[in-house]
Amino acid sequence: MNHPLLSVKNLTIDYIGDRKDFRAVDDVSFDIAPGEVFGLAGESGCGKSTIAFAISRLHKPPALIRRQSKILLNGRDVLDLTPQALAAFRWREVAMVFQSAMNSLNPVSRIGDQFHDVLMSHTTMTKAQARERAAEMLRLVDISPDRLRDYPHQFSGGMRQRIVIAICMALDPKLVIMDEPTTALDVVVQREILQRINDLRRTFGFSVLFITHDLGLMVQFCDRIGIMLAGRLVEENAAEAIFQTPGHDYTKKLWSSFPSLHGGALL
Amino acid sequence: MAFLFRRLGFYLAAFVAAATINFFLPRLMPGDPVQIMFSSAGAELPPESLQSLKLTFGFVDGPLWQQYITYLGSIFTGDLGRSIKYFPAPVTAVLGQALVWTVGLMGIATVISFTIGSLLGVLAAWRRGSAFDVIVSVGAIFATSVPAVVTSLIVVFVFGFTLGWFPSGYAADPRLDPAFSLQYIGSVLYHGFLPMVTLCAVLTGGFAVTMRNNMINLLGEDYVVMGRAKGLSDHHVMIWYAARNALLPTVSSLAIAIGTILGGSLVTEVVFNYPGLGNILYQAILARDYPVIQGQLLIMTATMLIANFIVDVSYVLLDPRLKGAL
Amino acid sequence: MRVLLDGLLRNRKALVGAIILVLVLLAAIAAPLLTQYDPSARVGRPHQPPSWNHLMGTTRIGQDVFARLLYGARTSLAVGFGAGLLITAVGTALGIIAGYRGGKTDEVISFLTNMVLVVPNLPLLLVLAAFIGQASPFVIALILGLTSWAWGARVTRAETLSLKQKDFVKAAEMIGEPQWRIMTFEIFPNLISIVGINFIGSVIFAIITEATLEFLGLGDPRAISWGTMLYNAQKASALSVGAWWEILIPCFALALLGLGMSLLNFAIDEVANPRLRTGNWRDRWILLARSGEGRL
Repeated sequence: MNHPLLSVKNLTIDYIGDRKDFRAVDDVSFDIAPGEVFGLAGESGCGKSTIAFAISRLHKPPALIRRQSKILLNGRDVLDLTPQALAAFRWREVAMVFQSAMNSLNPVSRIGDQFHDVLMSHTTMTKAQARERAAEMLRLVDISPDRLRDYPHQFSGGMRQRIVIAICMALDPKLVIMDEPTTALDVVVQREILQRINDLRRTFGFSVLFITHDLGLMVQFCDRIGIMLAGRLVEENAAEAIFQTPGHDYTKKLWSSFPSLHGGALL
Repeated sequence: MAFLFRRLGFYLAAFVAAATINFFLPRLMPGDPVQIMFSSAGAELPPESLQSLKLTFGFVDGPLWQQYITYLGSIFTGDLGRSIKYFPAPVTAVLGQALVWTVGLMGIATVISFTIGSLLGVLAAWRRGSAFDVIVSVGAIFATSVPAVVTSLIVVFVFGFTLGWFPSGYAADPRLDPAFSLQYIGSVLYHGFLPMVTLCAVLTGGFAVTMRNNMINLLGEDYVVMGRAKGLSDHHVMIWYAARNALLPTVSSLAIAIGTILGGSLVTEVVFNYPGLGNILYQAILARDYPVIQGQLLIMTATMLIANFIVDVSYVLLDPRLKGAL
Repeated sequence: MRVLLDGLLRNRKALVGAIILVLVLLAAIAAPLLTQYDPSARVGRPHQPPSWNHLMGTTRIGQDVFARLLYGARTSLAVGFGAGLLITAVGTALGIIAGYRGGKTDEVISFLTNMVLVVPNLPLLLVLAAFIGQASPFVIALILGLTSWAWGARVTRAETLSLKQKDFVKAAEMIGEPQWRIMTFEIFPNLISIVGINFIGSVIFAIITEATLEFLGLGDPRAISWGTMLYNAQKASALSVGAWWEILIPCFALALLGLGMSLLNFAIDEVANPRLRTGNWRDRWILLARSGEGRL
């Protein structure tokens, strides 16, 4: 991997407390190559979402990214971006799908407007062009463009998550972060969404940072996987190796907590 | 539509409840209810006027339910009896004119303080922990903890009596005839300024706190974070993602606040000698003018119910999830 | 409960609020030690400005304002806490019963609650007080208690509804504990912060409303309370004759007590709702960020 798209180096994040700090991410480093799907697995609270937030610089106090940390995207340190550069960077280079499909669209604004605001603030498109682009994106995820005037509550959970994915595609980003994108959905919808992401990835060539606690799901979807435990990255390897020859004790434990049928049947 | 109809039905029931209180209260008091209600009128009124007044309040020969029906009948035909103090002026006329001033004062003060308060709350929540947030929060605690009567008295003392910048009485210069003239309107604004500012000072803090807390509770929502992740400007996320959603619970808490607003407005009017309902009521209490005191409960309840209905409608208009309800 | 107390002890707002409350309380208790004057007696010439003899001046009929203020604090506190207790008790009981029992009971209580919420409070109190005639502070506390519980009932009901689904309540039901025991010993202790906010809010409301009713002339003018002080001062046109002390002093007393109580209320709210809290971590965070130890 000579030119990684994303290179996270020594990322250390604390939550500042009244008296003591809580180290949520402890000296984590990993790379993601262009077009690669990299998975971060671990139980809830192990710091994987904290990493996702840091890459788009979405954290607010009391979170604090320690100074030795570096997040390089195409060689540029995201942590050094000025506010204007950051605004331009977000979504254009890194887009994000959030955990709760039911809650990641603004409930009081139309789907079309939620495409428009992102298109209008990042491009010089006219209203008509933005509308055309939004329609095109919706078609990608098999939702009729007539529904741009509808509100989020008029869609099912799976459809809402597809709409979020469509919004992610709007600016043709280089990296898409998916923070447990299918946890809130049932298994059938889950599979359909992942399939869709995979197809889109082949078409557009973006990289994916995929975060979940479901190792089985991860192995079939990712190229490489990192296993996190209590803020540290304890193992990192190709997906197959993680499945067949897990190195760290914790990874083995994670596997043994799955019914064997589940893991085998998926591959 | 069904939702709004249900609300209307409920409001009708609430209005009847208020009327029922009015009906039973004099009858629950020890002693002769007629004596209680019209004692101060007895000697001064001609017997036939007193008789018609009794009829209005349901004091007819017959069982209680018949009296009750008679009373409800007179209320729903718009007959609230006649004032004893201003006899023979009907209660509706005495209160109706005052109501215009009260609703004007209250309505404008509510709109102003809701707007300013909500804006302050939004900004304070967005800059959580900043000096601005501390000032707004502490200021709001002060404003909400001081009773309206105290605020009014202090304002009238400082600006009305000591500095003499503003008049401390009447809705307009009493030497002017009410007319649609620049001079008259100017006088109304001049006279209304202090009560208006006082009422705004009393109300703004409460709205700011409500909005701030509602904002803080939803700043962690995924859609707000996604708005930030989209690279939209700070202002855009603050207004269209956070504040626009925080407005919904704030508007519904407005419905509960209306009672407080009404109360504050009554008190302010008394202190500023402003000819609204509060002042009429104050005079009526001093004169024990029971028909007017009872009438104000019905008129205030009706005002409150209409205000509640306006809040209901605006809530439905603001929340697309309820679009079907209209 | 312990967490709540612990949080309150470390909260600055709670500290200032408690100090104000204790000061007013001490002044009320120690009134006979702090002044030699009888609050209702004519002890000086009318409308004397503050002086050594009369620290806060005299009223139009020559009563000592300082003495009236101290003794009046007793009334304000007694009515505030008495009515506050009554309001909270009724509201909490109705809220828990409606939320826990559900069904018809809930429907009836909720309907009643909503009804009381849309009938304007002050006008209703005015009518009640008017018929009762010159209402003593005790009667005012009583009618306040019986008419102002609706907000508390609504909030308590909502919280009870969510507690009802919790495992410990389900467990108690399985063991076959009687409903009243579940309501008192399982649900009520978990509502303590809401009950606290409701109580303090009700005390503030009662103090303000008592003063307002008396100011409007519905109280017993012979009672010694901050509200009647305002009423008498207003009737004596204290402001227009320049006797500001007669009117501003009870004003400041009411404002101060209100402020103390609200500070306590905001503090409980912050302790109970962690999202509203602004802890010490902020100072530490700013320090670290400024010194270049970290960023966002």
